[in-house]
Amino acid sequence: MLTCSDICLDYVEATRVTHALKGVTLEFPPNKLHGIMGPSGSGKSSLLYILCGLKAPTSGNVLIDGKSITKMTDAERASLRSKQFGFVFQQPFLLNYLTALENILVGVSPSVLSTATIKAESLLENLGLGGMGDKYPSMLSGGERQRVAVARALIGNPDIVFADEPTAALDKENGYKVMKALADWAVDHTVIVVTHDADMLKGADEIHHLMNGCLVDNAQPNVR
Amino acid sequence: MRHPLSPLTYLTRNPSKVLPMGFVIVLCVFLIAAVASIANSIDLTVRTIYRYTEFFTYVIPQRSTQSVPMDQRAVVEMQPEIDRIIEGGVFFVNIKTVVGRLPFVVIGSSPEERDYLLKRIGATLAEGRMPADGKPEVVVSLPILENRGLKLGDVIAGPLDEGGIAGSPVPVKVVGVLKSDIWVAMSSRTFTDKTFLLTPKCLLLTTKVPSDLDVLNERLMPVGRKGDGLLSPEKVNVLTRSSLLAEVRDSLSSMYMIMEVVSATVIFVIALMSGMLSNIYFTQRIPEFGVLAALGVSRTRLMMKIVWETVILTVIAWAMGSVLSVFLLKYLATNVFKQRGLFLDAMDPWAYQHTLPIPIAITVFAMVTVWVRLKRLDAVSVIERR
Ligand SMILES: Nc1ncnc2c1ncn2[C@@H]1O[C@H](COP(=O)(O)OP(=O)(O)OP(=O)(O)O)[C@@H](O)[C@H]1O
Ligand SMILES: [Mg+2]
Repeated sequence: MLTCSDICLDYVEATRVTHALKGVTLEFPPNKLHGIMGPSGSGKSSLLYILCGLKAPTSGNVLIDGKSITKMTDAERASLRSKQFGFVFQQPFLLNYLTALENILVGVSPSVLSTATIKAESLLENLGLGGMGDKYPSMLSGGERQRVAVARALIGNPDIVFADEPTAALDKENGYKVMKALADWAVDHTVIVVTHDADMLKGADEIHHLMNGCLVDNAQPNVR
Repeated sequence: MRHPLSPLTYLTRNPSKVLPMGFVIVLCVFLIAAVASIANSIDLTVRTIYRYTEFFTYVIPQRSTQSVPMDQRAVVEMQPEIDRIIEGGVFFVNIKTVVGRLPFVVIGSSPEERDYLLKRIGATLAEGRMPADGKPEVVVSLPILENRGLKLGDVIAGPLDEGGIAGSPVPVKVVGVLKSDIWVAMSSRTFTDKTFLLTPKCLLLTTKVPSDLDVLNERLMPVGRKGDGLLSPEKVNVLTRSSLLAEVRDSLSSMYMIMEVVSATVIFVIALMSGMLSNIYFTQRIPEFGVLAALGVSRTRLMMKIVWETVILTVIAWAMGSVLSVFLLKYLATNVFKQRGLFLDAMDPWAYQHTLPIPIAITVFAMVTVWVRLKRLDAVSVIERR
């Protein structure tokens, strides 16, 4: 399980200090879709980057299965991200010289490439992209690209998927497709989605609200 | 299937990025190979033009005397390797070389001695005839005619000749062409004796076994330690292959130095620039690496990817540049430089050694910049598009 305790984050610039996070303590029990919501600038992305080890907090601790991410070395964190985490960003960030299929496979270790290729093809199928594996990103629509990014996040069979505004660049229909895939994954894994679009979190199990770097309404189950 | 992050995938899928870089390396390799082999061509030029020194040695009297003193001649006669000692009259014709006009010796000898010397060299008459006794006529080998751009029947030396000791008070015609790679020019002794009254006579030495010539030369007057030989440097000078090369190297030493400095600078600048170019290419790919780093691809793996991409690209481009240089230099050597008296070895290993800093510098540059940048690479700022 992923937990964080008393996370603070200050951005120090030449003239001023921004307190982006002011003591956030959260638990992310598995097999759930967690939503993090809040207005722009409330610290959602910052929190997500700290949770997945891409950013170091000014103070506080992040634990994964009891181990502190903040105390790991860079290499250990990289290994953790590649083995246990999956990522979906606001933009798909596909490599334009690789096909959809190859983009899904960038993170897999060369030793398991052939089995991963079969899995990638079935992921494409499940995400409604059957037969598109050979296409380059420039030949795909924005929604298709984002679904390729979702497949890339899931290929390593991650325990936790982190998604930062995965639907922000998409229309409603494509947004729902992406959220559906993430919700499916959350059935037996952990998924943490940052968004400011409440519609997209209709299927979430828990929603955490951030405001000015503070948690406002912790762990309120979403009742439809 | 090849792994998507394999260096070959990047190289084959991004021709618009890879080809310009490869092209620059190819051109740089050619430029340096050309500069280095031209710098090195002076030796080859001397060795080509004066190759007759492989077959016989000149003993030249020092300025004060008209012929080699008797005591010196006696020393030569005592050497066991000697086959013949021929006294020849000489005059000089101009030849074109990379360092300007140089005088080339014409040997005046009797018909019998001439036939002996030409047989030694392995030169046979290809066209025309041998010079007639006492006439202002010469027989020359083909490379000399080509060098001067002359043909059978043309005047090769005359009163208007410029430059130092070359020339003749009467116009001298080419009446015969010898088939031989070795530069050699011969006239009649009777002509040189009556025309070049003040030019001293030389001795031409041949050995029974041609390969003994070097040993004999060293015994008569060792290169660099002239006084240690059997002959007296005050009375005579000995013109040999090694003494010629040493002399040319000595007289051109400052030019050699300039060439070295120029090629070192060119190599350094090119290596630096291509290193910087690879740095620019890497900068363009920061987003790619940021995303991969965020996904958990380790820095070491990214580093290895870039290093391999660079190594493969530079090695292939270097090899292509070398092959191109060989062909282009070969073409230039036979069609352009040779006519200008410059002999260039298109496969000079020394020249290609000088191109090695290019791929090495590019790889080192790429490794250093990539290492520094990867250390500071902030995946979040790439993802947040800062
Ligand atoms: N690199 C940075 N340097 C300085 N300040 C930063 C930096 N990144 C974020 N901030 C500030 O920290 C605060 C939180 O930023 P964050 O990106 O986490 O917000 P967010 O909730 O993700 O907003 P949005 O919904 O617009 O993406 C903001 O006030 C922002 O200006
Ligand atoms: Mg954000």
